[in-house]
Amino acid sequence: MTKPKIALYWAAACGGCDVAVLDTNEKILDIANLADIVFWPVALDFKYHHVEEMADTSIDLCLFNGAVRNSEQEEIARLLRAKSKVMVAFGACACFGGIPALGNFTTRDEIFERVYIESPSSANENRTFPQTLTKVEEGELDLPEMFDTVMTLAQVVDVEYFIPGCPPPVDIILKVVDLFASGQLPPVGAIIASDKTLCDECERTKEEKKIARIYRPHQIIPDPNRCLLEQGIICCGPATRGGCGVRCVKANMPCRGCFGPPPGVIDQGAKLVSAIASIYQSDGQEDINRMLEDIVDPAGTFYRFGMADSMLKRKSLPQGERRA
Amino acid sequence: MKKISVNPITRLEGHGKIEIFLDDSGEVVNSYLQIPELRGFEKFCEGRPVEELPRIVPRICGV
Repeated sequence: MTKPKIALYWAAACGGCDVAVLDTNEKILDIANLADIVFWPVALDFKYHHVEEMADTSIDLCLFNGAVRNSEQEEIARLLRAKSKVMVAFGACACFGGIPALGNFTTRDEIFERVYIESPSSANENRTFPQTLTKVEEGELDLPEMFDTVMTLAQVVDVEYFIPGCPPPVDIILKVVDLFASGQLPPVGAIIASDKTLCDECERTKEEKKIARIYRPHQIIPDPNRCLLEQGIICCGPATRGGCGVRCVKANMPCRGCFGPPPGVIDQGAKLVSAIASIYQSDGQEDINRMLEDIVDPAGTFYRFGMADSMLKRKSLPQGERRA
Repeated sequence: MKKISVNPITRLEGHGKIEIFLDDSGEVVNSYLQIPELRGFEKFCEGRPVEELPRIVPRICGV
């Protein structure tokens, strides 16, 4: 009997999702025993042409991490979709855009200008930028086109399952492997994590949710046993799906939302604004203004991992820009 | 001129491809390493609070 085939890929990502797979330690041998890994750039030497040569739907499971922010990533997403029976958005970037989607607060040209001109280590008097096609003496070189807008995997291709997290925790990865091995995959569209919010799973003492001001870390020493939000520290727990093991909050760090919105919430950032506004004690406009000033970077905090998947999606583009 | 593409380069963190140009006798004339990916941390970290950067920039490379 031939073994099922698994592919893993990284698009706009950091490699942390691939390392999370390796963090299964000796269980990686179970995965290798269970299935043939036919594509995994970080670990195995297969090329794109090997994938192109495979028959359609010949890969049983594709774990795709990373967001889609250039034309190559879009092409590989479409290629792997065609070759795979089951496509999984693996990790916060593939599910929601992740950290790379903070780029949706800017544009391709602004990023190029900052990186290739303004960067203190750049000497680029001729204003040379990456080109999709470059003629050299020996022939032609090509590069993918960088998009203005970072997209989630599901905005590009159909996706069967979503595994959130930055990175996904090992217990969820092993659960998915077990489900795959036993042929008991959940209904299409399932988000493989908890159905509760992070707050529901957090064991900190919760009393009255009323805050008089917002604190930044250097302004307060947090009580390690009490709800961070009740202490005035912005924590994304009320609008974030659980299942991560409350990793950050257990380390006395507030949640930043890498598991995406909980069931029933469409826009994680909007839900967080609503949650914080509802517990803030205000005696009028002056207090409200102060709170707005105290939250230094609301967009980058409330949409830390979810900008591409949000209703806002991105900062509005100047008229005539390439790709919204 | 013949071109050999090594795409993608593998078993390291990051995206890259190598183009090798050969002459008619199969000798290497020139080769190019290209990095087909940019996310733009240099730009999108601007304006974020300094205390949040230790939670953003580790995602430059997670390997």
